[in-house]
Amino acid sequence: MNLASPFSLAVIAIVALSLLGLPVGHAMIAGSVLYLWLAGLDIGTAAEQLLNGMYTSYVLLAIPLFILAAEFMNSGSIMDRLLRFCNALVGRYRGGLAHVNVLQSIVFASMSGSALADAASSGKLMQILMTKDGKYTPSFAAALTAASAVIGPIIPPSIPLVLYALISDTSIGFLFLGGVIPGLLIGIAQMGLIAYTARKKNFPVEPPVPLRELPRVTWQAFPALLMPIILLGCLYGGITTPTEAAAAAAAYALLASFLIYRSLGVRDVYNSLLASARITISIGMLIAGALVFNYVITIERLPQTLGTLLTSYQLSPLGFLLMANVLLLILGCFLEGTTILLVIVPVLLPTAHAVGIDPVHFGIVAVVNIMLGLITPPYGLLLFMMMRIADVPLKDLVRDVMPFLAAMLGVLALITLVPDLVLFLPRLMGYKG
Amino acid sequence: MFCAFLIQIVFRYFSSFPVGWTTELTVITWLWLVLWGAAFVIKEKEEIRFDLLSAAFGRRTRIALGIVAALALLVLYAASLPATYKYVAFMKVEKTSYLKIRFDWLFSIYLVFLVAVLARYSWILWQLLRGRDVHAPDPTKASSAL
Repeated sequence: MNLASPFSLAVIAIVALSLLGLPVGHAMIAGSVLYLWLAGLDIGTAAEQLLNGMYTSYVLLAIPLFILAAEFMNSGSIMDRLLRFCNALVGRYRGGLAHVNVLQSIVFASMSGSALADAASSGKLMQILMTKDGKYTPSFAAALTAASAVIGPIIPPSIPLVLYALISDTSIGFLFLGGVIPGLLIGIAQMGLIAYTARKKNFPVEPPVPLRELPRVTWQAFPALLMPIILLGCLYGGITTPTEAAAAAAAYALLASFLIYRSLGVRDVYNSLLASARITISIGMLIAGALVFNYVITIERLPQTLGTLLTSYQLSPLGFLLMANVLLLILGCFLEGTTILLVIVPVLLPTAHAVGIDPVHFGIVAVVNIMLGLITPPYGLLLFMMMRIADVPLKDLVRDVMPFLAAMLGVLALITLVPDLVLFLPRLMGYKG
Repeated sequence: MFCAFLIQIVFRYFSSFPVGWTTELTVITWLWLVLWGAAFVIKEKEEIRFDLLSAAFGRRTRIALGIVAALALLVLYAASLPATYKYVAFMKVEKTSYLKIRFDWLFSIYLVFLVAVLARYSWILWQLLRGRDVHAPDPTKASSAL
């Protein structure tokens, strides 16, 4: 590809501008304007694409609603009950609290679509619990919270998967289903690793919760546990669109936290609304940028160009996937995940399509890659966040997160090589791919 | 801010009913919420950005890089302003299908947004030129959609 072509210049401009510190959404709009300008097209098209795209993207409204739902569920006493529930289930095993951390992440992942929200919500509490009486080292606890938070956006709902659905024109419902097994696999891999380390290092055991207590603890956590069921039920029962399912989940979350648990006051509800409005605006700007840039990709006829290029290279689907994995992982160490998802992945997508890779499979693999980027140094947002919450040096945190990273890379390799792990559930629900 | 909040409520609770006009109302509020908010509500710190490089450099380099970025944004957004105006004005021929709002009114928020961003970045540029470090990095404050 010609480096001086308007398109390459636009991509370079977007990456450069975001590296210079511009907000990613603005960088994408500015880069696309640059493309239209250089290519001698009507610059007004940027506005047209952005406005029409946002106006017709009813399905994207699911994102603010997912954010709101998670914000409601995030209140203290609900988290408490969920933790007690997880503790009753797995606390009795060696390394109990570490298992609780992972299980809690899996449960919360089915309510929230953001890894950073997951770490921010439970990170502090987990840190205190795990380091109390010197049970675990602070850096191990922090590393584990960072690693288990990665599961958040892989198990549905998921904000990155909605963004991927936007750029790839894939069904959100099938993408969400595709994430279930890989998300659980990552959880299992982490728990396996904990079980192994726990035996070697003789991690502490939590006082077992008597089995007759289990029904009570479950009952107390039940309204919260019901939320993912409502969400998925709405979505796959064919009752509602993803957006309406998200609205139902948000409404239910409000009901549960406000009326059933009484953990939210009117003031908190107002604050939750405000907080999610702010996050919505930031993410909305990203989406706006992605809409304009996607249009650029379309008129550049990138799919056709890359298709021809690839036939000359004779790349196998597997070869391409492995290459994409390596590329995304390396980029993930240095770039912010949303930039990769909205600028790099759209450039890879046509190729994936050309060599015959299923878009749902590719989406899950790409999102898992990008999530791992959150815990790979030097630039890993989850590492930065846990560094502050736990007040541990980055060096120790990185050392302790490495085994988990290795375990997750194993899962990534597995879902790359065995597409059926991703595609089994979507196909079960009628996905034809 | 309060405005954004009200819009938010409307668009949450009406979206549960799949009737035509509510769908329309929700997407309109979504469009306005994002662009209005991005123009006036969100602070620079809350934007999703990538700050590894800017955090790694010293203050002077960071200011220089900030000036380059702000200038690039100002030039490109300003360049898109006339064509954008033409497009928005042209949309007066169409109305939304349920609420009968003229599209030029509906889409005018993008012009407001462009002008506000231009104003904001002119101000940021001015601050940077005077040697103020606007983006003093805060590596612990993670802002991302992920």
